Amino acid sequence: MWTLARKLLLHDRLRFAVAIAGVSVSVMLVLVQVGLYFGFMDTASAVIDASRADIWVGKKSNDSFEFATPLDERSYYKVASVPGVERAERVLINFAQFKLANGGDLGAQIVGVDNQPGYKPMLAPWNVIAGDARRLTEPGAIAVDRSEYPKLGIDRVGHVTEVSGVRAEVVALTSGIRSFTTSPIVFTDIRTARSFMPQLGTESVTYVLVKVAPGQRVADVQARINALPHLAAYTRSEMSSRTRSYWSSRTGVGAGFFTTAVLGIIVGFVVVGQILYSGTLQYIREYGTLKAMGARNSAVVKVILSQAMISAALGFAVGAPLAMGMRAAMKGANLTVALSPELYAVTFVITAVMCAFAALLSIVKVLRLDPASVFKS
Amino acid sequence: MTAALAFSDSLLGPAPAPDSLARLVNIGKTYGTGEHAVAALSNATLDIRRGEVTLIEGPSGSGKTTLISILGLLLTPTSGEVWIEGKNVTGLGERALPGLRARNFGFVFQGFNLFPALTALENVTMAIQMKDPRAKDAKGEARRLLDLVGLGPRIHHLPADLSGGQKQRVAIARALGGNPPILVGDEPTAALDTKTALSVMELLRELASTSGRAVVVVTHDPRLERFADRVVRVEDGFIQSITSARSNV
Ligand SMILES: Nc1ncnc2c1ncn2[C@@H]1O[C@H](COP(=O)(O)OP(=O)(O)O)[C@@H](O)[C@H]1O
Ligand SMILES: [Mg+2]
Repeated sequence: MWTLARKLLLHDRLRFAVAIAGVSVSVMLVLVQVGLYFGFMDTASAVIDASRADIWVGKKSNDSFEFATPLDERSYYKVASVPGVERAERVLINFAQFKLANGGDLGAQIVGVDNQPGYKPMLAPWNVIAGDARRLTEPGAIAVDRSEYPKLGIDRVGHVTEVSGVRAEVVALTSGIRSFTTSPIVFTDIRTARSFMPQLGTESVTYVLVKVAPGQRVADVQARINALPHLAAYTRSEMSSRTRSYWSSRTGVGAGFFTTAVLGIIVGFVVVGQILYSGTLQYIREYGTLKAMGARNSAVVKVILSQAMISAALGFAVGAPLAMGMRAAMKGANLTVALSPELYAVTFVITAVMCAFAALLSIVKVLRLDPASVFKS
Repeated sequence: MTAALAFSDSLLGPAPAPDSLARLVNIGKTYGTGEHAVAALSNATLDIRRGEVTLIEGPSGSGKTTLISILGLLLTPTSGEVWIEGKNVTGLGERALPGLRARNFGFVFQGFNLFPALTALENVTMAIQMKDPRAKDAKGEARRLLDLVGLGPRIHHLPADLSGGQKQRVAIARALGGNPPILVGDEPTAALDTKTALSVMELLRELASTSGRAVVVVTHDPRLERFADRVVRVEDGFIQSITSARSNV
């Protein structure tokens, strides 16, 4: 069956090439579009995912991670004293004006973290490629990402600038830390962050990060914090998926990428369907002969489905490397295409199902084929 | 053809003779219904016997193809009975028919109907496997059959690289796959030149004589009659005569 399917498919090289091209374009579009979507979503929740906190606590009324209403220090102390909380840290997140070398200003997302003496903070810049993030405790010390060079013009430690008119010195450079809002993320200590945002006062806190004491269940501690007025507590993964779905639904970015992916599938479906069908018509006498000779419908259908599956497998084999190439190319444009083994697996299944459905018209054709037609001239 | 001994098979009862492989009894076939109805075949009775070559002759549109399609279990008659393997198989549906066809019939066509993408060997091997998915050593059997039809040296050729006669030999080898007792052909020599047509017919004759197969062939070519045991003349949907023809070889 496979031999016959392979030979029938390969006999017309041009037609075969078109089928494989159709499937591979569809595979590539699905991988790149869905990968871009997940890349954006990974970016949206990157700061949360990089934290080592068990629980994120914020104001109950918040719906977005970035545009959150501040709490105050008392909330922090209340959370810290909830039974089962081993340690709590403050985080201040807000936007501030970053002074550029050319004299202009740019809105930056300031992330002030709580460097408590003797502890490694639960949230700190990661992927540090130059300088020393521990120096962030120095007044005015900041860490910026190398990928923001086109916007900030900063590529070295020691660069001095101003944020909201306050002196700031780059003490560390990171790689690959980007925000969903496209404003550069600037890590600093919470005290420096407060000096960048005088309008919020000297006691403001956006989130309280919680490390749960050993032997305590995260859900129990979470429930106790949720019982406090005005506060909402989320596990790290809840916080992450809340942020992802906020940006996904808020921006409609999901719909855009998935529409293109679905269009890709439709293109593949139509191309493969056409190719299989024209092949089926070309060999209709021979298929009829098989049926006349006593081949069962199931056997003839298998020949057609095998051709569909060969197209799916080869199309995937060509399309997946194409998607990897696209990922490499898009990296240069600071776009992340997140290609996971799961995405490859799901895409392969989708491709196989798409090709099977594309074969449907051909299958109906051979099922309806009257074996007596072999004697019609 | 001289001194034709005409007789009607319908004088025989439905019970088949001992060497009968298949039997059509009072077959009628009407295509379509109402005012578009075409009575293609009426009251046709025919016995197909081991070792015999039967030619079916008649003008275009007389019902020859309809007759062999019903014999080959490709077409259901409107009336009458089809007996195969000693059983009345007339009412059987699409579940049973493919198996019966695979066991009993090999078909050859005017246009050969070989897969152009497959070599001679692959065409025959694939047919054997299609007829019986559990067939053992289909390739070995295919080689043997291609040898038998004289195509031994060309088994790895694609149909496009074979002459018409060679293609028809491949098709005959394919029809022989699974060792069916009856070979049915609809004008299998019509696309061949005279010399080739005669040599293909000679092969079919040999297959009938040496292996006891029945060969039923529709043709327009009276020169093939010398290879036949019987000639069935069909006109306007009726079997006009069944002539014993072997006597004048
Ligand atoms: N599928 C069909 N539908 C309607 N009429 C048919 C069909 N097949 C054959 N016929 C008619 O039945 C008659 C006998 O056809 P056929 O058996 O093919 O004759 P032959 O093979 O002797 O030329 C013709 O009149 C033909 O037009
Ligand atoms: Mg005909």
